[in-house]
Amino acid sequence: MSLRILAAGCVLLFATGALADQPSVQVQPPDLQGSRPLEKQTAAAVVRDYLESWQKFRAALDQNQAALLDPDFVGTARTKLASAIGEQAKLGIHTHYQDESHKLQIVFYSPDGLSIQMIDNVEYDQQVLDRDRVLATQHVKTRYVVVMTPAEVRWKVRVFEATPE
Amino acid sequence: MTLPQTVTAGSAFSVPTSGSGPAVLYIVGPDQALRRDVQLGNPVSIAAGDLYNAGEYLAIIVAGSSSSSGELEVTPAPHPDTLSFLATPSRVPVGLHNGINGAVYVFDAYHNLIVTPMPVSFELSGSSGPSQARTITTSHGVAWTEIDSASKQGSAKFIAQAGGIATTRVIDEVPGDPCGLTISAQPDGAKLRVQTALVRDCSGNPIPDGTIVTFTENYNGAQTTADVPIKKDIAQIDMPAYSGATISVASGVVAGNEIRWGGGR
Amino acid sequence: MKGILLAVVLFIATIGLLVIGTLSPIPTAVYYAGGKSLTRASSTPQDAVENLAVQIRQRSFGDAYGSLANRAEFTEPEFVQDLTGNTLSLRTFATLEDFETQPLHESADDAEMLLKLHWSTVVGPYETTRDLHVVRNGDRWAVDWPLVKAPHVPPQVIPVNYLRWDVIYSGAGDDWGAQDVQAPRIRIVDMRPVNRAEGVVVMGELLNEDIVPAFVGVRATLLSKSGSPIASEGAFDMISHTLLPKQVTPFLIRFPNVDLSQVGSIRMGPISVLVSASADPVVEIENQKYNLDPEASLTGQLSNQSGQTVNIAHVLSTFYDKNGQLVWVAGQYVDRALPPQTPVDFSVQVPEDLAKQISSERTIVATYSSGNSL
Repeated sequence: MSLRILAAGCVLLFATGALADQPSVQVQPPDLQGSRPLEKQTAAAVVRDYLESWQKFRAALDQNQAALLDPDFVGTARTKLASAIGEQAKLGIHTHYQDESHKLQIVFYSPDGLSIQMIDNVEYDQQVLDRDRVLATQHVKTRYVVVMTPAEVRWKVRVFEATPE
Repeated sequence: MTLPQTVTAGSAFSVPTSGSGPAVLYIVGPDQALRRDVQLGNPVSIAAGDLYNAGEYLAIIVAGSSSSSGELEVTPAPHPDTLSFLATPSRVPVGLHNGINGAVYVFDAYHNLIVTPMPVSFELSGSSGPSQARTITTSHGVAWTEIDSASKQGSAKFIAQAGGIATTRVIDEVPGDPCGLTISAQPDGAKLRVQTALVRDCSGNPIPDGTIVTFTENYNGAQTTADVPIKKDIAQIDMPAYSGATISVASGVVAGNEIRWGGGR
Repeated sequence: MKGILLAVVLFIATIGLLVIGTLSPIPTAVYYAGGKSLTRASSTPQDAVENLAVQIRQRSFGDAYGSLANRAEFTEPEFVQDLTGNTLSLRTFATLEDFETQPLHESADDAEMLLKLHWSTVVGPYETTRDLHVVRNGDRWAVDWPLVKAPHVPPQVIPVNYLRWDVIYSGAGDDWGAQDVQAPRIRIVDMRPVNRAEGVVVMGELLNEDIVPAFVGVRATLLSKSGSPIASEGAFDMISHTLLPKQVTPFLIRFPNVDLSQVGSIRMGPISVLVSASADPVVEIENQKYNLDPEASLTGQLSNQSGQTVNIAHVLSTFYDKNGQLVWVAGQYVDRALPPQTPVDFSVQVPEDLAKQISSERTIVATYSSGNSL
């Protein structure tokens, strides 16, 4: 199964790499804790939904519109991101994030099937703007710990936290 | 601007600056955005509780048309404050190997996931029998375990504890399927009163009231059936009293005995 | 000139038709104009029975009662109760869609007629049949109505102390990682797809394995041999939605205009949620007999063992062959309410082509009592 997920990841890498402005994505075989077996479809859905959540994250922080987070973020992750968007709007700034690469690995699937934890070694550019004026640009290389939980039709990001590598 | 490499979430720190004149300090990350007016040359103090969401931040000092920036990493506070304890199922049949599972995500006071390894103890204690306990170290902020359900029914407490913080979930350990389901019959006026013996599972736990027992009487090509709930550990029903009728009993997919009514007993 | 002539001709013809329509209207026009009923003089037994049926269809119960030969034997309210039920039931909301009459015997002074009444309800049609005695009274004929008197349950106190389950649901907020109660565990214990002339039918049986009541449903998705969905349908009312612990319900899902040869696999989606429920009432299903003649059916009586009237009962039967394999699932709503301790007949029809395969059956009853849920 691991090989299949890796193969799926390679396909995803190829597919996403072929599109301009899209990050490169590498999905590593799961290094699972938990007794519950991870179905191939579940792993693919989680990765797909997580990558989609980055698009909404980028748009929401760039446009200072917290509502854009709703389809993809829930719980603590949504609360914190929405709070940051409110603070940005109050300060008159916005932030442009451009993710360049993701190296993903699923590390935990809870026995009840109600949470999946993933590590994302991500590289992105962060650009802070005061209206149209660029205040600073930084290339960031970090590791995100992500917890996703199932909602009605998709997996949503519940914990989205950059941690020391 | 000289930034500390890492800052603990919610802690106070200061950022030394150089130069002179007024400027503005921004600290911007995905989860928080701060602004402080500063006098260059003096350190900027960030008070305890001001920067509390863990993550990567970009700190920028803007003075007029010039700016300088650097990275700042905020790490979770080391002490747990909240445990998200996912314990399932809420009802579990007795005597089930690894029938109960629990996963704990450990958060600090600011709802940051504490990813540094930390021991989490799990304990399942029921109304009868010894408690089961084990300690698991978190990996990426989560610890999980699986525990057998007890052989006796009852309400069990499933407790997860980390760093002095405990969270409790209640697990109902419930009887399994009925075992050795038997019926007897006796005349009751013009009818036949058919009733089960005490309905218990294979461990001797009484099957809960309200559980359906199906009685079926066959006589001369005709059939009479009734789905009857257990009341006070037995199920009973009045059925037509036909001499030579056979009466059987079942509950769910478990079949019980069959009796033939001979008219006398 | 020709135009004026045409206009005059049309005017005269219109006036003529209006006069004819006013002086000699057809019965249908009278009825829809709010005038008198569609009835005509009861000069034959057939006319008398048809007039009575029309009055019942128009719900002109007073006129219908007034036309009866034996009206002295019962009151008008008793007659109305016989037609609409003496308590809330499927009959209360039924509409007489159509009727058929059939002469059985006729002499100079009396006749026997068969009256079939086709009723429609929100849960589908049902039919009642009455054998009517019609008597001659001068130059008119009138019906002796065979009143079925509502069974009288003697005043009494019936203690009912069965279990009742109530559920405290979690709040609307995001309570991830908090204490919760899980949905009841259910399991499909039998499932079989069959090809019928009208399409594919998926039937089976569902068990509540848990110790709490469950509100259940089943959805099936037909997948082609390539794995793409063909159609997805639910059991709708061909299932008993409230299942007490360890109770089994049959289900039947129809896929019109789909052939089984198109189907590669079937994805079953049983769902369950916690539901407040009562273990009462218990309904005994007595004297179940499987009949091949005159038409394949399962007949019997429902006997409500509780003290509460069951307003609507839905009988669901599972039929098996001699090897115990599922052959068919059929259901029938009972048009009368089930008074306490009083047997009420039911009949469940079986497709003729399957009738001879059937060796045994299992029947359950889903009930509705006003104030309670199914």
